[in-house]
Amino acid sequence: MTRAAYHYSFDHEHLLSIEGLSPLDITHILDLADSYAEATRAGIRPDPVLKGKVVVNLFFENSTRTMSSFEIAARRLGADVISMPVAASSVKKGETLIDTAMTLNAMRPDALIVRHSASGGPKLLSRKVDCAVINAGDGTHQHPTQGLLDTLTIRRTKGHIEGLKVVICGDIAHSRVARSTTQALHLMGAEVHLCAPRTLLPSGTETWGAASATTDFDKALKGADIVMMLRLQLERMDGAFLPSRREYFRFFGLTQERLALAKPDATVMHPGPMNRGIEIESAIADGDRSVITEQVEMGVAVREAVLHLLAGGRT
Amino acid sequence: MSLSIYNARLLDPATGLDEVGAIFVDRGKIREVSKGQTKPHADAKVSMDAGSLCLAPGLVDLRVKTGEPGDEQKETLATASRSAVAGGITSFVVMPDTRPVIDDVALVRFIADRAKASAAARIYPAGALTTGLKGEAMAEIGLMSKAGAVAFSNGDLPVANASILKRAMAYAASLGATIISRPDERTLAGSGAMNSGELAGRMGLSGIPVEAEWIGAMRDTALAEATGCTLILDQVSTPRTIAIAQAARGRGAKVFTTAAAHSFFFNERDVGDYLTYCKVNPPFRSEETRLGLIDALKRGEIDAVVSAHDPQPPEEKRLPFGEAAFGAAGLETVLPAMLSLVHDGPLSLLEALAPITCRPADMLGLPQGRLAANTPADLILFDPGKPWLCEREHLRSRSTNSPFDGRRLQGRVLRTFVGGEEVFTHESIA
Repeated sequence: MTRAAYHYSFDHEHLLSIEGLSPLDITHILDLADSYAEATRAGIRPDPVLKGKVVVNLFFENSTRTMSSFEIAARRLGADVISMPVAASSVKKGETLIDTAMTLNAMRPDALIVRHSASGGPKLLSRKVDCAVINAGDGTHQHPTQGLLDTLTIRRTKGHIEGLKVVICGDIAHSRVARSTTQALHLMGAEVHLCAPRTLLPSGTETWGAASATTDFDKALKGADIVMMLRLQLERMDGAFLPSRREYFRFFGLTQERLALAKPDATVMHPGPMNRGIEIESAIADGDRSVITEQVEMGVAVREAVLHLLAGGRT
Repeated sequence: MSLSIYNARLLDPATGLDEVGAIFVDRGKIREVSKGQTKPHADAKVSMDAGSLCLAPGLVDLRVKTGEPGDEQKETLATASRSAVAGGITSFVVMPDTRPVIDDVALVRFIADRAKASAAARIYPAGALTTGLKGEAMAEIGLMSKAGAVAFSNGDLPVANASILKRAMAYAASLGATIISRPDERTLAGSGAMNSGELAGRMGLSGIPVEAEWIGAMRDTALAEATGCTLILDQVSTPRTIAIAQAARGRGAKVFTTAAAHSFFFNERDVGDYLTYCKVNPPFRSEETRLGLIDALKRGEIDAVVSAHDPQPPEEKRLPFGEAAFGAAGLETVLPAMLSLVHDGPLSLLEALAPITCRPADMLGLPQGRLAANTPADLILFDPGKPWLCEREHLRSRSTNSPFDGRRLQGRVLRTFVGGEEVFTHESIA
C-alpha cells in the first residue's frame, strides 16, 4: 500500500475576502499565526521573512487599531513599513482611489494593506496593481483578517471550532466583521447564529453561512459557546434604525443575567472599539470570560501569517 | 435620389408583414412596398440586392442621454447619433438633464438645431418638466412643445412633490403633452447602488428595493388617472410595475411603460466583482424578475424598449462601486439584446421589433417606425444571426461604458438609412 503524496500550497495573490478561501487555507493561516503568537509570547524574534520588503498601509478611513496591528506585524517580520492615512491627504485634493494606487504601485511595494469606506474598494485596487493587496476593511463588505483572528482566538480558547455554537449580536447589516467572521467560522464547521434588531438584520444571511438569524437575543443565547458582541454606531441608535440607546440595551445589551443563558463556560468576544454600557456591560468586558484582549493579540499574529504568505515570496 | 432595395426579407411589425419583397424609396420617403418582389424597381437610380437579409424600419428610441450641452467629453449629439445608426436607431429622444437643463424654448431649439447640423439620426428633444429639474416650478411646457419638444420629463430624478407633479400633469394634459416619468420613490431608493437583496447584503452594498419603483408607479399612475395626462413610466424593471400600469390602463388611464433593453439581458449577479459597467438605475434585478419582464414583453404589456443610453467616461466608472456613476452606453446593443430574445427566447422577430419601432413611434405620434408608403425612409438592413463579439473599444459612442463588453452577441446592422440616405455601412460590406 502506498499513500498518495499530499501537497498543499497557499495559492492566493491577495486577501480580499474570506469568500474564496478553503478550510485548508484557513487552517494553514491559523497554524502559522499560532506559531507566531507562541513565538511572541516566548519572547522569540521570528525569522525576518519580509526583510527588504516594502509594505504600505493605505488607510482611506481612520483606524488606529488595525493600522498599528498591521504595522507591528510587518515590522516583526523585518519589513519596511510606510503607513499612509490617506483620508487626510491626497483624496481631499480630488485624487481617486485608482490614481493613488497607481502612484504607489509605481514605487514597487510588496504588499498594500488597504482600508476603504467603499465596499469593493480593495478589489478595484487589486486589479490595477502588481503586488499583494490585503483588505483591512472595505465599507460594509469584508474584514478578512478580523474573521481570521476571531477564528484563531476561538480555536485557542476552545481547542477546536467544529460544532461550536457562536452567537454574533449587534449591527449585522453594517458590519464587515459579521460577514467575514460568519464565513470563516462556518467554513471551519461552527454553527453561527446572528442576532440583531430587525432594522439591522439583512436578508439572505444564510448565504454567508449563518445557521439562523433572529431578533430574539435571549433565545439565541441558549447553549452558546461563544458570544460575540458587535459595535453599534451611536448615531444609528437615535431614531433612524432604533428608537433609543436604552431600548437597545434592554433587548440586545450583554448583561450578566443574559450571559447566564449561554453555556457556563461561554466565552465573550468583541472586535472593538466597545460602547461600554450600551452593547456590553463593563463587568463582562473586563471579566474572566472575556477574550477581548486576546483577540487584539491574535490580530497581530494573524497579520504576520497573512503578510508572510502573501508578501514573503513563495516557498 | 431614388433607391430600390429588393430581394429582402421585409419585416414590418406595424402590419405583421414578414415576407420577401422590395422597397422603393424616392425623395426621402418610402414610395412602394412590394411583396414578393425579388427584382429592382424600374425607376430606381440605385438598386441594392438585399440577398434575403432583413429589411425593417429604423429603430425609435425614447430614452437617450448625451453630454451636449455641458458634458461634451461624455458624448455629443453627433457622436451619439453615429453610435445610434450603427445600432440601427434612426430616431431618438434626448433627455433634458444636461448642463444647462433643457427647460426653455431657446434650449429646445438649440438641441434641434445642433442635431440638424451635426447628427446622422433624427433627434427629438424632451423638455424639462420643472425648471432646472428642481421639482419646484413647472417649466414652459406649452412653449417648449411649440418649439419641438416631443415629451416632458424630470430625467433621472422624478418630481418628489406630488402636488407639483399633479399640477404639471393637469397642465400637460390640457396641452396634449406627454410626460415621461421614472417611477422611483427616492426616499426609499436612497443611496442604493444595486438591486436590494441577499447579494447586495453579502457584497456590503446598499440596495435599491423594488418597492421604491412600485410606490413611484402607483403615485404616478394615480395622478395620471386623476388628471387625464398621457404618462410614460420610464424604464420599469419589475413585472409588478407593469401590472400597476396595466391596471390603470384598464380603468382608462393613458399610461404606457418602457423598459431598458439591457434589463432583459442581465441580472444582479452580473454585477459580479463590483463591475461598475453593470451599475445602472433601475438596477439589474433578480433572475426571476428578468424572466418576468420577458414574459410581460411577450404578452405585449411593455409598450416600448429603450436603450437608456447614458454615456459615462472612465473617470466616472473607475471608482468603487458605491461611488461610481449609474448608466450604461446602450445605443449599439438594443437590437442584439432584443434578438437574443428571438434566438434564445420566446419572441418572434416581429415581436422583438414592435417595441423598438412602430410602438414608440406611435406613442409620440411620429410617422416613422413602419414600412408604409409616404412615411420617412428610415430603414435598416440587418443580419439577425450574425455573431459578433462586443468589445467596448470598437463601440462608436464617445463613452463606451457598456455592460455588454466581452459578450458574444448575435445580430448586426449592415446598412442604415435615414430619409433614404445611407448613414451607416458595416465595415464587413463597405
